[in-house]
This record gives sequence, structure tokens and C-alpha cells, in this order.
Amino acid sequence: MLSAASGELLAVDAAPNPWFDPSYVTSNWDTIMGYLGEHVRLTVGAVVLGALLALPLAVLARRSRWLAGPVLGLSTLVYTIPSLAMFAFVAPITGLTTTTVLIGLVLYSLVILVRNFLAGLQAVPAEVREAARGMGYGAGRLFWQVELPLAVPAIMAGLRIATVSTVALATVGVIVGHGGLGQLITGGFNANFYRAPIVVGTLGCVLLALLADLLLAGAERLLTPWTRRAAA
Amino acid sequence: MVVAGSTRQTRVAGMRPRDTEGGVMRARTRYIVPLALAALVTTACGESGSSGTGGGADTTQASGDACAPVPGDQLVVLADDEGLQNADNLIPAVNAAAAEANPALVPALDAVSQALSLEELGALNVAVDVERQSPEDAAAAWVEENIDTAALEKGSGTIVIGGGNFSEPTILANIYADVLEAAGFTATVQPTGNRELYLPAVQRGEIQVHPDYLATVTEFLEGDDANQVASSDVDETVAALTPLAEEAGLVFGEPSEAANQNAFAVTQEFADELGVSTLSELADACGDGSLVLGGPGECPTRPFCQLGLEETYGLSFAGFQEFDAGGPLTKAAIQQGEVSLGLVFTTDGSVQQAD
Repeated sequence: MLSAASGELLAVDAAPNPWFDPSYVTSNWDTIMGYLGEHVRLTVGAVVLGALLALPLAVLARRSRWLAGPVLGLSTLVYTIPSLAMFAFVAPITGLTTTTVLIGLVLYSLVILVRNFLAGLQAVPAEVREAARGMGYGAGRLFWQVELPLAVPAIMAGLRIATVSTVALATVGVIVGHGGLGQLITGGFNANFYRAPIVVGTLGCVLLALLADLLLAGAERLLTPWTRRAAA
Repeated sequence: MVVAGSTRQTRVAGMRPRDTEGGVMRARTRYIVPLALAALVTTACGESGSSGTGGGADTTQASGDACAPVPGDQLVVLADDEGLQNADNLIPAVNAAAAEANPALVPALDAVSQALSLEELGALNVAVDVERQSPEDAAAAWVEENIDTAALEKGSGTIVIGGGNFSEPTILANIYADVLEAAGFTATVQPTGNRELYLPAVQRGEIQVHPDYLATVTEFLEGDDANQVASSDVDETVAALTPLAEEAGLVFGEPSEAANQNAFAVTQEFADELGVSTLSELADACGDGSLVLGGPGECPTRPFCQLGLEETYGLSFAGFQEFDAGGPLTKAAIQQGEVSLGLVFTTDGSVQQAD
């Protein structure tokens, strides 16, 4: 009796709210694609810019143990800044734009990228470097043609972790209204727990992360043919 | 879930944003329903037991039942006649330079504030949050019906309106956009997030208009948590806000009658039986402490919830039962006669004002 009565009353209040709602996807296709596009641009931009920043930082850190501490410490310190504070610092300059989110994501990606790039460069065997120098390689050629290729596995590992982490992290952009698929997730939570956009946003993030990881794994395979030959 | 939980807490403190209570509620339904039913069964047993012993407990028994819950379908909100809740009326925040450059801008927004009633805002929220209309469609339908766009002062230029990231301000932003378009502006709605970031963006003129809540934005601009400048009085709060806004490079339009606040609802039957329509009348009628209050878990320790009811109105409660923050669980508990009154939100379209 009691449970039947309460069930009825609750049912009156509960509008149909399925987890999977194809009609939501079809009727909001443009919105979803817009947010997906923003998410992809944020992720690619953050990882590419992060890598371009991380490489010189890693080279700098490798130069001396004296520099490695501050460089690694700084990238870790930046990572601990809460996103709301980070965006509050950046927004007065760049406004409520994707650029604000991008700057935050680039800075956050450094903690992974610098560490992995440095590890990759440090793992180049000293005798290989010796041999290259003995063959008359200058500093530039040594770096680009010997050290960097040998560091590729560690560099790619860093890029893969940073990419997957950035896909997830990009959703914090909702703080400035540019969170990519995060807009769907937060929007769903804030519209009386509307499940359809929450699921679309979440699945979108997961699939995007998997796809990006797969692409980078493929790129790593292409870039390091010698590892396969060695294994075969 | 962390986001949802923390949002729910701020709501009970009388602050925005709205609406995540649904998420918390549904996630907890499966735990709370059996608990609530268990509580109900226990209460029923207790009552029959005590009435069975009868006799000596006559006085307490008689007075103790005066304000026991009365089941009923229609929920009515008792008026907050002592002003426990802050005046969180919807109000448009406008960049001062944009307002000066476009004399037609603020009057167009004021037309929305004047036309928007609490009932209509409630209905708009239901349309979006329950019936799942898009905020754009709900806003367009309301503007069509309620705004005489031909009578608007004409303006021109581009206006960017911030829409927040929950339903109520998004609906409002779309209403503003439709009205401004009708007035000759080119208006776009942009999603925004936290007040810490969107209000500075309005100050910088990056976005020109953002719907906000009177008391909350006043306290935000004032900045000092210890110093309360907002109150339950709309005019006083506007008077406090005006100089703060000027300092910040902002102009605020007129506040709407519609305010998003904590409110306390009873069933129509309960209100009729006791003849109460305000919380003061409830306090007079229920001096015996037989009221049972329902609301979110933090209610007993919050000044805008049970603490305020006790201190401002002198209400005393026989007990508190934990449900959600103004969601279906609390409302069902009031309707089923589990609690005498419960916390709801004023912009919830499913409750009425008591008269």
C-alpha cells in the first residue's frame, strides 16, 4: 500500500529521462558537433603547443641537474593551480574565450610532457652519443638525428598520456563557457539531471580519448620502425 | 557528483546556481525511498502505540497533534512575512558603457523584468527542466505571449548576452536576446560559467548583458562575507547594489518580481485546516512544537533553513526528516503527510503561493 502510493506520487514528478535518447542526438546534432569540434581543437591545440613548449624545457632541464629541479618543480607547481584560479588569472587578458581554456590546458599538460621528454632524452645511452660525436656529429645534428629519434618512444608515451588527460581536463572549460563536451555534461546536470546530454558528453569524451590514443599509437609505430625490426 | 553536491549546498544557503538538486536527488532516490518508508512505518507504529496507552498523556497528545502533517496533492508556499530569505530577484546586469551607448538597451531588459511573474518563471523552468523543451523555444514562446515588441524603444548594434550554465539564466538570456532582436539589436547568447568569471567579463564589456540574482550579486560585488548588505527587501537591496555597481562599471536594470529563493511549502489541506498563509501565522498556530520539517540534510544547520525558521519565526519542530533540496522527494513527503512542511524553491512551477 505505502510503497505503491509513494511510487505513484514519485512517478508523477519523474518525466521520461532515458540514459540513451537517439532523438536528443538527432535534434541537437549541430550543437553536439559544435562542442565536439571545440573539444578536439582544445585537445590538439593544447598538446601541440604543450609539446612545443616542453621540448626546449626538457632540453634545458637536461643540461644540468641544477636546472632540472626548478623546471620540473615549476611544471608541477603550475599543475596544482585550481582551474578556477587559473582561468581567473588568464580571463582578464584573453576573455571568456577558448584561448583562455587553451592556455590553462597547455600549462597543465607540461607536467606530463616535460617529465616524459626529459626521461626520453636522459635515456639516450652515453656511448651512442660518444659514437656520434666521434663520427663528427655537431650538437645540432646529434640532437635532431640521434638523440631525438632515440627518445621517441618516451616522447610518444608522454604525448599519449597528455592527450588522454587533456581530453578529460578540457571539460573544466565550462567555468568560462568553453568546455567542449563538458558543456553537455554540466548542462545536463544543471537541467534537473537531464541524462541524454550527460551520456552523450561522457561517451564523446571516452571515445575521443580512445581514438586519439589509437592514432598516436599508430604514429609511434610509424616513427619507430627499428623497434619492430628489433622485436621481429 | 562532487559538483552536484556542492551546488546543492550553496543553494540551501540561498545562492545560485539552481537545479542540480535533481541529480543529487535521483542518485539518492534508491537509498532514501526505503529509508523514508521505514521512517514512515516507524512513525505510524509510534503513533498507534502512544494513542493506545492514552490516559495520562492527554495534554501533550492533544497539543502535539495540532500541526501534524496533513496529506494533500496541491502544495502551497507560506509567505516569508518576516523576511528570512534574501531578495534574490532576477535582475539584468549590464555593462555601463554599453548601456550608455545604447539608450534602448536597459529599457528593453526592464520590459522583461516587468512582464515576468514568479508563476511564469516557474512554468518556464518546468517547460525546460521537466518537459525538456529547449531554452530557446521556451523563451521565444514566452516573449511572443508577454512582450509587446512593437512598443519597444529601437536600438542597434551587437549585444552579447551571457547565459550561465543552468536552465534558469539560460532561459532568461534567450528571452533577453529575443526582446533585444525585436528592438533592433543583433543579440547572441553565449554560455558562461561561474560568477567569478562572467561578472568581470560584463565589467570589461566582453559580454554586455548577463541575468543575475539581486541579493547574491550584491553580496558578490560587496565582497565581504562578514558584512551582509543584501536583505529580504528588494528596494533596500537595490539601493545597496546601485553604488557597488557604479564602482564596478556595471548598470543593473529593474529587478523582476520573480525571485529564486528557499521557501517552505505545506499542503493546501494543511493550510486550510489551520487557516495559515504566512510563516508567522504558522508559528502562532503551531506553538506546541508538533511540526515536522523536511528538507536537505544540511537544513538543520543553515540560517536560510531550519535555523532561520527557529530564530526568525520562533518555530519549533518535533523533528526533521532528510530528503532532497526542493526536489520530488521533499515534495512527495509533504504530499503524503510525512512532514508538515518542507523546503522548496520559489521558482519551482509545481508549487503555489498561499493566499
